[in-house]
Amino acid sequence: MIWRISRASARSMLMALVVLLAGCAQQDEWDSDQVGNFEALWTIMDEHYSFFDYKQVDWNEVHSRYRALVSNDMTDRELFDVCGEMLKELRDGHTNLIASHDVSRYWIWEKNPVNYDERIIDQHYLNFDYKMASGIKYQILPDNFGYMYYGSFSSSIGEGNLDLILSYLSTADGLIIDVRNNGGGLLTNVEKLVSRFIDNKMLAGYICHKTGKGHNDLSDPYAYYFEPTPNHIHYLKPVVVLANRGSFSATNNFVSIMKALDQVTVVGDTTGGGCGLPFTSEMPNGWRVRFSSCPILDPQGRLTEFGVAPDVRVDMNEHNRSHDAILDTAIDILTASTRP
Amino acid sequence: MLLAIILLFTAQWIVADDEQPAYPSQSMFMFDVGYASIHDSYLTPITYDGVDLTLGYETVRATHFSPDKWLWQFQASVDYNYVENNAKNNDLNKLLGDISFDMQRRWRGVLTPHLDLSAGPMTQLRAGIIHNAANSNNPVSVRAHWNVGIAGMAAWNTHLGRKPVTLLYQAQLPVLGVFFAPEYDESYYEIYLGNHRNLAHLGWWGNRFDMTNYLGADFNMGKTVLRIGYRNRLEHWTVNNLKVHDFSHSLVLGVSL
Repeated sequence: MIWRISRASARSMLMALVVLLAGCAQQDEWDSDQVGNFEALWTIMDEHYSFFDYKQVDWNEVHSRYRALVSNDMTDRELFDVCGEMLKELRDGHTNLIASHDVSRYWIWEKNPVNYDERIIDQHYLNFDYKMASGIKYQILPDNFGYMYYGSFSSSIGEGNLDLILSYLSTADGLIIDVRNNGGGLLTNVEKLVSRFIDNKMLAGYICHKTGKGHNDLSDPYAYYFEPTPNHIHYLKPVVVLANRGSFSATNNFVSIMKALDQVTVVGDTTGGGCGLPFTSEMPNGWRVRFSSCPILDPQGRLTEFGVAPDVRVDMNEHNRSHDAILDTAIDILTASTRP
Repeated sequence: MLLAIILLFTAQWIVADDEQPAYPSQSMFMFDVGYASIHDSYLTPITYDGVDLTLGYETVRATHFSPDKWLWQFQASVDYNYVENNAKNNDLNKLLGDISFDMQRRWRGVLTPHLDLSAGPMTQLRAGIIHNAANSNNPVSVRAHWNVGIAGMAAWNTHLGRKPVTLLYQAQLPVLGVFFAPEYDESYYEIYLGNHRNLAHLGWWGNRFDMTNYLGADFNMGKTVLRIGYRNRLEHWTVNNLKVHDFSHSLVLGVSL
């Protein structure tokens, strides 16, 4: 009797174990063929991209148009081209399809005036004599205005390095911060840099995120603030920020915040935009897709996805190889504000 | 579920044991190696699979207040998973620490003189991260759970030749808890900026299920016990439109000191 019950118990336990293990399997949502990969990409964007309504993109219409171009007998390169074109409908520099053979992109700065030439500045303004620290090139110009060029917010900024840079530039009557062709990087570096140009806690902007799969499932904007870095050197004299269309992503964010400061003037071209913090996802075939996911608003609560307009709009003269009209304008502005 | 079945089928057959109780007292170091599968929709919609490696320690002791009827168990482990996508062009690395403590009521000689059963409340703390180096602003998924639930054990004492062998089944079944999850596409940068809304969640079987099962044999070699067995872990939850479904199947090798 006892043995029979024990066998029944054993059978029940075994059945429960089988059910449990069967429940472990996790099936992915899409087939791994070309159509499945196309549908995966479209769905990922449909569920995660955050600017459909802002850009007035009818994503369902886009699907019907591009789905007609996809078949399972097309090559990977053909599929990539179709998918890349579909993503360009979003007009978003943060949106890329990344495969082993190519990266799709929508980079507006490639089609706009460059408005920056490092050689002109090095040769005619710095005389090839400048300091470098934390990815920042800096020097005091002959007019006694400081100049610092920061080429990438991916370059780590050390607080000690910033102290040394700002200490060296502290005798200058004004400061030019050049972030042209700075394609972005870490937002924490934006905070580090901005915090050296404020003497009070400031509203830096708002951030929100998708809360669900719907196009309008966005969280309430969360206000965030920057504070002066305690016990470090700050620069509170007049500042001019130089920007161009290549000032993108984190740099766009930097310019939008600096522009809100009273002592700051932004000169040059409209920035490249890119105010959506990008996330990354992937398709069954291993291609990765990067896209704008978390909108960041400027201190006035505006989206800057298409760029931050300068206070003073200036284009460089491509034929003048010895003068940077944007930098010249910055010097004029500082001269006018410091030596009336 | 398994624990409930054990109790259902055996509760009425619990018999008194007139023998002197053998108080459990054993500490075991274990190494698990096996298969792992990770699905974490915050990181990727694709399921990754690969290798599970775990270093574990457990100690089981009779309680002081009722050594013949109650035992306590402490378990700690560090679990590392290396998993790849089907395209084999990206990987995830998961590192998870886990500690748990339970106290179990013990029934000796159930059904037969050779079978001991025990069950009781447990609490478990688990924390770690999964890293996806290819992602931009969603490169990690943080796991942090505190659970209370049920732990159970079934031990069949027998011999292999002249050597005593214990066939052992163990289960941990969290029932309620608190766990961390960001919102659907919330960045850790936003959390760093101070937005801590809706990060802690009450876990129950409506949104979260996890379980650990172990089945194996302890070979008594004199002063040392060698363990060989099989363990599976399952963790499943859905919250904030995110979905996690991880599991592993592993061979367990252990030795007592």
